[in-house]
Amino acid sequence: MPGVSSDSARGALVPLSPESPAAAVYPLRHGLKSPISRLSISWSRGNSLRVSVFAAPSSDGSVNDGDGGKVVEVKLGGGDGEISEAHWRRMAYGSVSPFALLQSRKNAVSSLSKMSMNSSPYDGDWWDYIMEYSKDINALLVNQKSASVPVLDDPKSFITKGEEPTSLKAAWELLEMFYAEKPSHSWLPERLVDWLADYDSLFSGTHPTVHSKLVDFQKELVNLQVVEDDPKYWEVMSSALAVGWLNIVVKMLRLHGSYRLDQLSNRETENGLVEAVAVLISKMPRMRLEHEAGKLGECYKAKPDFVKAWEKWRGQINKLDSSAFWFQCAHQQTREGLRSMLQIMLGNANSLCSATYNWIELYISHFLYMRPLTVGLESMYSLAQKSIQLKPMASAHRLMGLIIGILGENTEVVLAECLKGFGPWMVAHAIELLTAGSDHAEMLLHEERQNLGGISIEELHRLVYAQVLSSFPLTWQIAPIYLISCMKHGMVLLQILLSKQPVQDNQLLLKSIEICRLYELHSVTSNIMKIAGVHHWKHGRKGSGVFWLQQARDEYRLNRIALQLFDSVGKTISDESFKQWEGLIQLLGSDSKTAGGLEFLHKYRDFKKSLRQIHDGKATDSARQAVESLISLMKNPSTPQRFWLPLLYDSLKLLNWKERPLLNVSQTNLLLNKLQELSMARLRPDFIESELPPQALNSVRLALGTNLGRAILEE
Amino acid sequence: MAFAESQNPLRVYRIPQSRYIDSVRWLSPVSPSDRFAAIAYFDADTNSPSIEIAYVDPNPQSSSPTLTPQSSWTSPSRISSLRTAHSTPQPLLAAATFSGSLHILASDLINGGVMESEATVSQLGFHSGPVSAVDLREGGIECVSVGEDGRVNLVSFVGDSSKLNYRRIFDSNGLVGYTAVKWASPSEFATGGYGFGIQWWDQRTPGGPVLQFKGNWCQGKTSGIVHSIDIHPSRKHTCLAGGSSGTVFAWDRRAAQQPIVLSGAGTGEAPNSLLSESEVWEVQYDRYTRRSNIGNISSTRILPVMICSEDGILAVIEQGEEPLELLAEPCAINSFDIDRQNPSNVICSLEWESLAILTRS
Repeated sequence: MPGVSSDSARGALVPLSPESPAAAVYPLRHGLKSPISRLSISWSRGNSLRVSVFAAPSSDGSVNDGDGGKVVEVKLGGGDGEISEAHWRRMAYGSVSPFALLQSRKNAVSSLSKMSMNSSPYDGDWWDYIMEYSKDINALLVNQKSASVPVLDDPKSFITKGEEPTSLKAAWELLEMFYAEKPSHSWLPERLVDWLADYDSLFSGTHPTVHSKLVDFQKELVNLQVVEDDPKYWEVMSSALAVGWLNIVVKMLRLHGSYRLDQLSNRETENGLVEAVAVLISKMPRMRLEHEAGKLGECYKAKPDFVKAWEKWRGQINKLDSSAFWFQCAHQQTREGLRSMLQIMLGNANSLCSATYNWIELYISHFLYMRPLTVGLESMYSLAQKSIQLKPMASAHRLMGLIIGILGENTEVVLAECLKGFGPWMVAHAIELLTAGSDHAEMLLHEERQNLGGISIEELHRLVYAQVLSSFPLTWQIAPIYLISCMKHGMVLLQILLSKQPVQDNQLLLKSIEICRLYELHSVTSNIMKIAGVHHWKHGRKGSGVFWLQQARDEYRLNRIALQLFDSVGKTISDESFKQWEGLIQLLGSDSKTAGGLEFLHKYRDFKKSLRQIHDGKATDSARQAVESLISLMKNPSTPQRFWLPLLYDSLKLLNWKERPLLNVSQTNLLLNKLQELSMARLRPDFIESELPPQALNSVRLALGTNLGRAILEE
Repeated sequence: MAFAESQNPLRVYRIPQSRYIDSVRWLSPVSPSDRFAAIAYFDADTNSPSIEIAYVDPNPQSSSPTLTPQSSWTSPSRISSLRTAHSTPQPLLAAATFSGSLHILASDLINGGVMESEATVSQLGFHSGPVSAVDLREGGIECVSVGEDGRVNLVSFVGDSSKLNYRRIFDSNGLVGYTAVKWASPSEFATGGYGFGIQWWDQRTPGGPVLQFKGNWCQGKTSGIVHSIDIHPSRKHTCLAGGSSGTVFAWDRRAAQQPIVLSGAGTGEAPNSLLSESEVWEVQYDRYTRRSNIGNISSTRILPVMICSEDGILAVIEQGEEPLELLAEPCAINSFDIDRQNPSNVICSLEWESLAILTRS
C-alpha cells in the first residue's frame, strides 16, 4: 500500500485508503542516483505537472555527477482520443469569431428590446443569428483527415467512407437540431434518422451496431458466390432497413442472384418479388422537407398528404405480403428474408426489435415504421424510455446520455453530459444554443447563485473554459474574449491573467499590452511595463529598462535607477564611451517628466559636449555655452551633490579663462556657496568622496576666488 | 476568365499548420515555376523549434495551394529572426535564436530542398540574451546581428569553416538596445530600436553610428519600438520603419530629423486615416505595383509599402492615399514576405498557427 505513513512528521500527509479504486502508479524517470531528499510538485503549462526532485547531499561532502536535482515535466492524460491537441487548438481559435459575433448581436438585440418595450427579443433575425453561429462552430468540427471519395462506383460496395465522424460533431449536431432549429420541431424524428445514418459507427466501438454488421458483411462479400444463400445477407439487410438506410438496402437487394442474366429466366418469380420489395422500399413515404439528391423515399411536407400516401404504401405491402407468388418462390432464404423485411416495413415490433442492436437504433426504427407522426419532446421522450426498456445497455455511450438529457428537457443533465463527455469547450459554446429559445433554460443558466459565489452557471462555465485556454501558451490570448463576457469575475481574472504573462520577450509583452489597450486596462499596462523595465534593467539592458519605465511613467523607479546610472557616469563618461551614452540620452529626451532623475544626464551631456569643443580649440562661444550649462546644472536640484565637485573641477579651465572672466559676480557667488555647502556636507558620515586628486577642492576654491576678484574688477 | 479575375483580384488561402510559426520567408526559386518557402516553426506540444523548407504548389488539382515539406532542421532554440539571401544559386538562410546563437543554413533546392547547417555562432559573448534581428547581405557573405544587449555583430562566412567568426562592431553595454536591422549597401546598414530611433552605420567609419535619427520625435505623446526596417536598393537615402502604435514612417537621411509619417500615431491631425493602432510587426517595400515603373515616381515620394500588424491587418500604404487593406484577420499577422521574382505572391504567418498565401492579379 503506497503512501500510507503513520508518521505525519515525515512528510507523507495523504493516506491512501486501501479500498480507493485502483490508484495507478507510474514510474518517473528522474535519473538521480543519490537518494531523494525533497520533492516539489506544481502545475506547469496546460496539463503538465512540473516535478522537481532534489537529491540528498552526499554524506561525505564530495560532489558527484547527478547530485543536486532534476526537474521533470509530466504530461497528464492524452486528452480526448478522437481529437488531437492541435485540432483542439484549431477549434479554440476558430470558435472565437462566431462566439464574439453572437455576443455582440445579443447585446444589440437586448438593448434594442429595452428601447422598444413591446417586442420580444427573440424574433426576426434572432434565429438566423443562432443558426449561423451553430453552423460556424459545426464547420470547425470537421476532421481534417477526411478520406478521399472513390471516383468509380463499385457495385459491390454499399458503405461509402466519407469523413471520419467524431462524437463531438455528432453531439453538436444533436444540440443544433434540438435547440437552434426551433421552427423545425415537427421534422425532428426524420432529423434523428439522418443523424443516426451519419453517426451510427460511433457506437460500434463498444457494442455491435447496424453499421458494424454492414462493415463486417462488406468484408465477407468478396468471398461469397451466392449471396442469397447466406443468412447474414438477409439479416444485415433487415437491420439496414430498420434504421431507414434505404439506398443501402436497395443496392444490396440488387446483388441478389436472380438478377444475373444467366439465371433470370428460371428465377423469374423470385426476381419479381425481390424487385417488388426494392420498389416498395424506394417508394417509402417520408414526412420531411426534402431529401438529398439521390436518396430514396418520397417526401411529404403536409401531414394529410403524408397520411394518405402512408396508408396506400402499407396497403401495397399488405397486398404483396398476402400474394400467391410467395408459393411459387422456390428459394427458401429469399422467401423468408423478403417477408421478414415486409414485416419490418409494416412495423412489426418483434421484427424491429430483433433487427436492431441498441436502443437508439430501435428508437429510430419506431419512428420510421410504427409512429411516423410522433411530435413533441414529451412523446419522443416516452418512446425513448420504452426503447431503453426493450434494449437495456450495460454501459451507455456519452452520446446516449446526451440524447436522454435533451429528450427529457433537462438542461442541467444536458450540461452535465456535455461537460463529462466533451469538456469545457463544448459547454461554454453549447450554452449559447441551450439558452437560445427557452426562457426556462435562460433563467436557470443566468440566475446568480450563492453556492457558485454569486455567479451564474453560464459565467461559471465560461470562466472554466477561459481558465483552460489560459493555461496553454498558444491559447491564452483568446481567453480574454471569454472573460470579458463574464460580468462578475471576468474583468478581475483578465487582469490576473495579463499580470501573470512573462515579460522577458518583447513580442509577447507587446501582445499583452495590446490586449490591455483593447480593454482599457491602463493600470495593468503600467504594471506590466514596470515589471518589464525592472527585468531588463536587472539583466543589463539599461536602455530597454529605461524605455519601459518611462512608458510606465514610473518616476520612483527612474529616480532609483538614476542613482545607479550616476555611479557609472562618474567613471565612464570619457570621450571614447560617449557614443554609448549618446543613444540612452537621446532616448531620455528633453522632457524631464518622463526622464525622472535622469534629466541630469541630459544636461551633463550638453555640458561635456561644449567642454569638448573648447578642447577642440573652438573659441569663447563654446566656453560661454559651457558656463551656461554649468550654472544650470549647479542650480538644478536634480543634480546629485556628489557631482558638484567633479563638475567644478572639470570647469577649472573656464574659471581660469585667460582672456576675461567668464562668470559674473552672482554666478561666482552661487558656485562659492555650493562649494561651502559641499564642505559642510563632507562632515556628514554618509558623504561619498569623489575620486579626484586631493588638492581638487583647494584648486577649485582658488580658481573661484580669483574669478570673483576679476569679475568685481570688470563690473 | 479575365473578367472573373478582375472581379476578384485577390485570392487568399489559409493553410492550418498545427504549429506556431515564428517567421516565414520565400526562397528564391531555381526555375520560374517553382516556389519554395522557409518556415520557422515552434511545436508547443513537444517544445521543439525547427526550420522547414516547403514546396508551395500554387495550383494542385484542388483549387487551394498546398505545402509539401521538403526538409527540416531542428533548432536549439526558438527562432527570433529569419532572413534569406536571394542571389545565390543555393539560397542561404540566416536564423537567429532567442538563446543568442546565429545559424547559417544552405538549402539545395535542386536536390529535394535538403537543408544543411553551414555554420553556427553560439559562443558565449556573441550576444547576451536573445538576438533580436539579423540581416543577410545580398550575395550572402556577410550577416549583421543586433540585440537588446546593445551589441552589433558582423558575421562573415567566406570559406568553408563551420565555426563562424564574428566581429563586434559596437557594444553599447546595454545602454541602447537594438530591435531591427537592415543592410543598405555592402558597407552600410541601419538599425532601429527604442523610442522610434534609427541609427545609420558605415563600416568604413568604425566606433559607432555615423548618423542617428532622434527618437521621440512625437514629443512624448506616444513612443515605441521599431520592429522592422526596409531600405529600397534604389532609394538608399531613405529608411522605412514600422513599429508600435501602428506607426510607419520613413527617414530621409538628407532631411535630417524630420520623419515622413505614413501611418499611425504621432501624426496629429494628419489626413491619412489610421490603419492600425497596434504593433506593426513588419514592413517591406511592395514591389508589386499596378502603375508605371518606379523610376517615374519622384525620388522624394515614398514607394508603396506593405505592412502587417498585431490586430490582423495586412495592407499596402501609398503616401498620401487611402491604405489598401489586403487582409483583416481576427488574429495577429506576425510576419510576411513578398516574393521577389513574382511580387504578386505574398506569404504571411498568422498567430493562430496558420499560414496565408495571397495571390494578387
